[in-house]
Amino acid sequence: MILSGWESVFFWVFSIAAILAGLLTVMARNAVHSALFLISSLVSVAALFILLGAEFIAGVQILVYVGGVMVLFLFVIMLVNVGAEEEGRAPIFNKPAQVTAALVFLAMLAGVLVIYAIPRGYSALAERDKAALQQANAKRVDDQSSLSAGATGVSRLTKETERVGTALYTYASLPFEIASVLLLVAIIGSVMLARTLKQEVAADDVDPEVLSEMKQS
Amino acid sequence: MLQEASRASTALESIKHPDLSKFLVIAAILFIIGVAGVLTRRNLLVIFMSIELILNAANLNFIAFSRYLQDTGHGDPMSGLNFINPDRFVAAAEAAIGLGIVIALYRNRETIWIDEIDLMKW
Repeated sequence: MILSGWESVFFWVFSIAAILAGLLTVMARNAVHSALFLISSLVSVAALFILLGAEFIAGVQILVYVGGVMVLFLFVIMLVNVGAEEEGRAPIFNKPAQVTAALVFLAMLAGVLVIYAIPRGYSALAERDKAALQQANAKRVDDQSSLSAGATGVSRLTKETERVGTALYTYASLPFEIASVLLLVAIIGSVMLARTLKQEVAADDVDPEVLSEMKQS
Repeated sequence: MLQEASRASTALESIKHPDLSKFLVIAAILFIIGVAGVLTRRNLLVIFMSIELILNAANLNFIAFSRYLQDTGHGDPMSGLNFINPDRFVAAAEAAIGLGIVIALYRNRETIWIDEIDLMKW
């Protein structure tokens, strides 16, 4: 899966964009800015998915996350008043001691992962699969050089969607159905949670004690 | 000195030709940023956004390994791609339920700062 040429340029551009946008998501003072930076981080990760040859996943990423989940987030941000942060009085982070402890722990975790664990594990893996990797790279180079000047590798583009669809209807269908039940639970749960007391009274399922207290007040 | 030059050239080579490990490093960094957000921010909505960042980093790992398996032929290349869907559904369900909780909480307590929501703090 070794990228080359313009692919590697795009890889670095989008990965740096994803990390910067992720950092700004966590550090922005205003929650709306956070949401917008999260959108740009998600779009950059979708571009990385395309570089990995998973176009369908990238499309779903943009449709579901950016089109669905983030709109929900922005909606709730508008609904809930977050003005206190913009005034600049309240600190956006928790107490300094806790923040320092968390950041030190995370820096250690990041150091171990990035410097030690991932390179070592990957070099062992690459050593095992050396022949297969070289073969795959040679095939990739062959494929790219055999394309004519105007071609964009569309034949490779369509295959992944087809394979995801086939898998979803065959051996991955049980998790798919379980996920649909999960989404149904989520729909019912969020409707139940977000109801006002007035709506609960209208639906006639309020605890009698609560109702009598309401009438007294 | 020759050794140093060769090391520098392999470093340059790995920058020019990113492989699986680079994707894993990017995903690890995104994950760490997300965890840092969850641990340090006070705004409940930003904490939810950080959780989205964490789930997204996990997705990136799944896809990178899926592609690696596709190239090397060890294991099923579709397993990574199929893990993405349950992950997405979990993220969507979490966002829906979590934001429902945020709205209910705001209606009752008039705040979404987590250090003011300390009823169950020991």
